[in-house]
Amino acid sequence: MSIAAENLAGDQPDLRSKGHVADVSRFVRNLAAGLLVLGIVVTGGFLFTPYDPITPDFLDRLAGPSAEHWFGTDQLGRDVATRILYGGLWSIGLALLITTFGALVGVIVGLAAGHFGRLADMSLMRVTDSFFAFPELIAAVTIAGVLGPSTTNMVLALILVSWMKFARLVRSLAISLAHRDFVVQARLNGLPSWLILWRHILPNIGPSLLVLWTNAWSRSILSISGLSFLGFGVQPPHAEWGAMLLDGKSYMQTAPHVMIFPGLAILLAVLSINLIGDRLRDLIAGPNGLFSD
Amino acid sequence: MKTSKSGHHLFVGLAGRLGALACVLFGVSLITFTITFFAPGDKAAAIAHARYPDTQSFAPEILEGIRQEFALNEPFFTQYYLWLSRFLSGDFGNSFASNVPVWEIFVSNAAETLTLTLTALVLGLICAFFLSAIAVWRPGSLADRFAVALASIGAAMPNYWLGLLLILFFAAHLNWLPAYGTGTPAHLVLPAITLAFWVTASQTRLLRSFMLEAKAAPYVETLRLRGVSEREIFFRHVLRHACVPALTMIGLDVASLLEGTVIVELTFARGGLGSLLAGSILTRDYPMILFLVLFSALVYVILNTLIEVVQDLLDPRKTFLGRHRAASSGGERP
Repeated sequence: MSIAAENLAGDQPDLRSKGHVADVSRFVRNLAAGLLVLGIVVTGGFLFTPYDPITPDFLDRLAGPSAEHWFGTDQLGRDVATRILYGGLWSIGLALLITTFGALVGVIVGLAAGHFGRLADMSLMRVTDSFFAFPELIAAVTIAGVLGPSTTNMVLALILVSWMKFARLVRSLAISLAHRDFVVQARLNGLPSWLILWRHILPNIGPSLLVLWTNAWSRSILSISGLSFLGFGVQPPHAEWGAMLLDGKSYMQTAPHVMIFPGLAILLAVLSINLIGDRLRDLIAGPNGLFSD
Repeated sequence: MKTSKSGHHLFVGLAGRLGALACVLFGVSLITFTITFFAPGDKAAAIAHARYPDTQSFAPEILEGIRQEFALNEPFFTQYYLWLSRFLSGDFGNSFASNVPVWEIFVSNAAETLTLTLTALVLGLICAFFLSAIAVWRPGSLADRFAVALASIGAAMPNYWLGLLLILFFAAHLNWLPAYGTGTPAHLVLPAITLAFWVTASQTRLLRSFMLEAKAAPYVETLRLRGVSEREIFFRHVLRHACVPALTMIGLDVASLLEGTVIVELTFARGGLGSLLAGSILTRDYPMILFLVLFSALVYVILNTLIEVVQDLLDPRKTFLGRHRAASSGGERP
């Protein structure tokens, strides 16, 4: 980030160059169009699927893809396509929940460390470093496993291992902003800390935070599916993508479709979010980006 | 680093690093212990079940005896202190399940994991190096686009799924390679490819951008004006300059590599530390869990500290405190 560059005018950086506005509005338009199409397909799926994601149908087990069951059926005769639809709610939705909570914790810790002096900074950052020292998934598997495999414990575990990135980012940005003229001015004018943080620091951190948040979101999807695949996450009969893969693993030879489609869903979801995140990062940090002075 | 002033910097920087490292390791041990301390379920019963696997229920006296033996009735900090002091003196405890020292179990499983990790790392790095070199040779070419696409897909690919696909194709369909288990080199092929794919994808992305950066450096233009051939510029200068930042980035990704290894081991039902961890969690073998989790954190933290030190030594613009001298105008605390 090149925020450190001097801003002699003592004002907030000028965020709106003309080319940039065009870039951003095109991005927003494309994103909206993409989401709309996705929304229509998914809503259509939920409305028109005649199947239930959980109720077994023992007469129609492990059937291959057909006109009735587009992605075939699994070992209990449940429609794989329907389960993938509902699984998206689990995988993507839970990931959203985890990332948002993680970001919230991270922002609070980071702002506190970056704004309330050396002692707070030192102690909070040592705590952050300690949490950061664990490889994310290993820590998550351990916490979720030791607490007992369940969705709640998995969510808890993943929040516990994912907030530190946000704390580090927010802290470093908050520190670099603390000496910018507009922040110093606000402080000299006697604005209380929380108001400075809310009105001057947070809005300037926002874009970078959004990029990291997108990144963490897609990572979270992989973690959730990974934990569920290992048996420490969402438990059967719920249709989470990783849990579906675990089911499909046992029937791989006779019915590979049970395992292929959920994996494809994970891949596509993570890929899409990553691509959106990359584009966002280019818009924010690229040559015409928000932070290029 | 020859003047006395920078010598002083070096000492202070190193002392600070070591101090921070000690703090982090202390925090790590506290967090790990806390997780197992507050785990639900009766630990005495878990130990009893591990010791006498054939017995269904235990007399309260036996459980009480076990609680005495393992100091399970003591308050949190007493237990933590006891555990930590024993741990620091090299006594890592015995596995609940087999009553063998966890250290011995660890050693007997470590080779398996190390083999897989290193094979995948070497394989992945070679692929990444070639791929990014071909990509950067002509940016925007078909090869470049392929490399970028592969990197994007690799970053989004769940490696357990890739593992299953490989098993499906090479083991179940073609019957060329064994699917599950450990032992022969043939067992290593599919897991190593699975893990190497991730290494290739993530490192291609990095190497490619570092090489592009090196290619755009002003001195490359100077070389070109001097009449040095494109081939020589590329192989003698661009590649070499891209390697230094890339090497440090590889180190920073050790955590992801460890995670990947755990998942791949479990996907392919291989022996090794990942399977050991998962097994220990399922049987609630707390000494084993504590040791393995602490070990993974230790590897990660120490490697990262080493890399930071090496990075600083390699980069003349940096002082030992890890700050850019030139760019410290607005960004640092006074």
